[in-house]
Amino acid sequence: MANYHVVIVGGGATGSALAHDLTLRGVRVTLVERGEVTSGTTGRHHGLLHSGARYAVKDQESAKECIEENMILRHIAPGSFELNDGLFVAITEEDLAYYDDFMEGCAVCGIPTRTLTREEALRLEPNLNPEVKLAVQVPDGTMDAMRLPLRFLATAKHNGAVIKPFTEVLSFLMEGKTVTGVHVRDHVTGKEYDIGADIVVNAAGPWSEKIARMAGVDVPVQPSPGVLVAVWGRLNNMVINRLHRSGDGDIIVPQRGLSVIGTSSWVVDDPDKLDVPEEHIQLMYEKGAEMIPLVKHSKMRAAWSAARPLIGSRGATTGRELSRTFKCFDHADEGVEGFVTITGGKATTARGMAETTADVVVKKLGLDAPCRTREVVLLPHTAYYV
Amino acid sequence: MAEQKNVQFRVFRYKQGDQAPHYDTFNVPINERTTVLEALQAIRRDQDSTLILRHSCHHASCGTCGMRVNGREVLACVTNVMELDTPVVTVEPLENAPLVADLVVDMGPFYDTFTQAHMPLIRQSEFLPESEVAEGVPYHMRFENCIECGLCVSACPVVSTDPEYLGPAALAAAWRVVEEPRGEDPEQVFAWVDTEHGCWRCHVAMECSEVCPSNVNPGHNIMALRHQLTKRKLSALFG
Amino acid sequence: MRRRGLVAWLNPRGRRVGYWAFVLHRLTGLGLVLYLIIHLWVLNMLSQGPERWNDFVELAKSPLFLVLDVILLFGILFHGLNGIRVAFVGMGIGADQHERLFWAVSLIGALLLLLGAWGFFTV
Repeated sequence: MANYHVVIVGGGATGSALAHDLTLRGVRVTLVERGEVTSGTTGRHHGLLHSGARYAVKDQESAKECIEENMILRHIAPGSFELNDGLFVAITEEDLAYYDDFMEGCAVCGIPTRTLTREEALRLEPNLNPEVKLAVQVPDGTMDAMRLPLRFLATAKHNGAVIKPFTEVLSFLMEGKTVTGVHVRDHVTGKEYDIGADIVVNAAGPWSEKIARMAGVDVPVQPSPGVLVAVWGRLNNMVINRLHRSGDGDIIVPQRGLSVIGTSSWVVDDPDKLDVPEEHIQLMYEKGAEMIPLVKHSKMRAAWSAARPLIGSRGATTGRELSRTFKCFDHADEGVEGFVTITGGKATTARGMAETTADVVVKKLGLDAPCRTREVVLLPHTAYYV
Repeated sequence: MAEQKNVQFRVFRYKQGDQAPHYDTFNVPINERTTVLEALQAIRRDQDSTLILRHSCHHASCGTCGMRVNGREVLACVTNVMELDTPVVTVEPLENAPLVADLVVDMGPFYDTFTQAHMPLIRQSEFLPESEVAEGVPYHMRFENCIECGLCVSACPVVSTDPEYLGPAALAAAWRVVEEPRGEDPEQVFAWVDTEHGCWRCHVAMECSEVCPSNVNPGHNIMALRHQLTKRKLSALFG
Repeated sequence: MRRRGLVAWLNPRGRRVGYWAFVLHRLTGLGLVLYLIIHLWVLNMLSQGPERWNDFVELAKSPLFLVLDVILLFGILFHGLNGIRVAFVGMGIGADQHERLFWAVSLIGALLLLLGAWGFFTV
């Protein structure tokens, strides 16, 4: 079998899972990332291993993807999650009114649930707002946002993939309208050089549009940041969600000795220019305290923004209107050969995104190589460094 | 209204192939919330796109943004610039790790030692002990405190002079395996640390515990190892 | 490898009490070894007859020498008392209080030092 070479642009969750998938299929992979791996959106996300229940009513495609990937990740990355499940808590009468739609949506999407009374909920999570009316238990969990993708990278690396952080793509190498590689600068040495490729995959998250333009194509990606606030103290062991239509500040994820409240949503043009608006920080405190009152007096550890790569029309104003699912673009459809973009999605579905993309890539290369990432158990994250 | 001012950053620079490192000075507009990490990102975005640094989670959970700010080991993502209160902020890479370029160090040697402790990533959660565990969940679990940032190793004076010393991070991980084995063998751990370059090499400077951003307190963990070993040796001696 | 060796010990910025206790312990240790060598060499002069010894005793009564004696006493007290602190903490006893222990032994040491210094200069 000819040894095809694929260059992946972007070392976040998507690029990492794709490097792993393609390497298992016998493709030679070079991954280039302009900074440290996961230093884009991936490292900064909420750390939620989604059960999908959050999307069970309004975005069922995404919800089904989430629960499927949730189960796969537990199998291929054992020991990488705080698996304490999650609760969707109803605090107000309005929340209660959402219950039926929520339960129906979860059933349709295959998300297991267990309804708990107020007393049962408070026994599991004593810091909950005593006004809680009922709660629904779902298979949410906490993931370490950086260390999980590192497992994909470690496995890919040990199977022969070349991972190049601090290597920034400056332009594409083209022959007519065919992409033949990338021209990069290595920020470790300061030197520039070319990397030839049979196919280049754009996995640059909210920077996907910037990268795609280098090949003369457009991808409809709207960077949509949100603010997250981490406070000192682990106020809950289970993930706490608000039982209502997705809104701001309605999830509290425990992480080690911190509690992370998120998130909000707006749209920007430049994913490198992310503010952390003061009003959003206050909003996280306010909304978080509605679920766990102790939040109100908890000291802040950090407040930061991360930009989701949302696919959709340019008309969006807050980002919440756009789907959370993912899409793979084969730019041959636009006349540009040798170039594929994968964007959108969520950290929980990175492996699934990679499977779809790798299927497209190997088909373009004319290979018959099925996906094996559902079964292969990943190396520990520490293996990335040794 | 956010109070804004300009702060000077003196940043360590080095690219492989350079004769020697040098410092570049940048002026950065900051407000009362700006962190050192955000300032460095702004420098990279607006003034010098060749500056490289490690960062990922932006909330003291990944451990990648460890560096020395005004000489002291910190995580850049939770270090507030205004609170530093110095006219010039000096930013340098961690010590006791091979320099890659600029503020990036090679964590390979750190992990070579650290992984020998075989500490699992997941531990029992000691938070909210009175709460019940949900049905289907075996026990309340959480990630270990150690975020593998390397601040303790950088700050340790013994690591500075003894290349074979296991170091605070690995020894703290070793103690955690003794405290909560989770299927690992504590006897193997004791054998590994009970050596000249193991837990006995520490001289109680305790700087590791001082700089640890994540409640690991390695110095205290090393003392706990020594305490256990001392008890064992004494009872072996006196029966 | 960015291992700067002994130079790293002298980086003051942001270091706390435990660190300085360590550095000073090392320095006083070396100082005491040096003193021991000098002391033995001085005793050796006994073998050279009473005049050499008397010359030395005159020198030993001079104010400069008494000041050096106080410095020596500081070294002995610091190394001894901090050594006890390190011995306990190093076995896991009082590790949480290591900074308070340092101030406690410093207080005891300071009192003994003053007592000793007074003794040197008056007796």
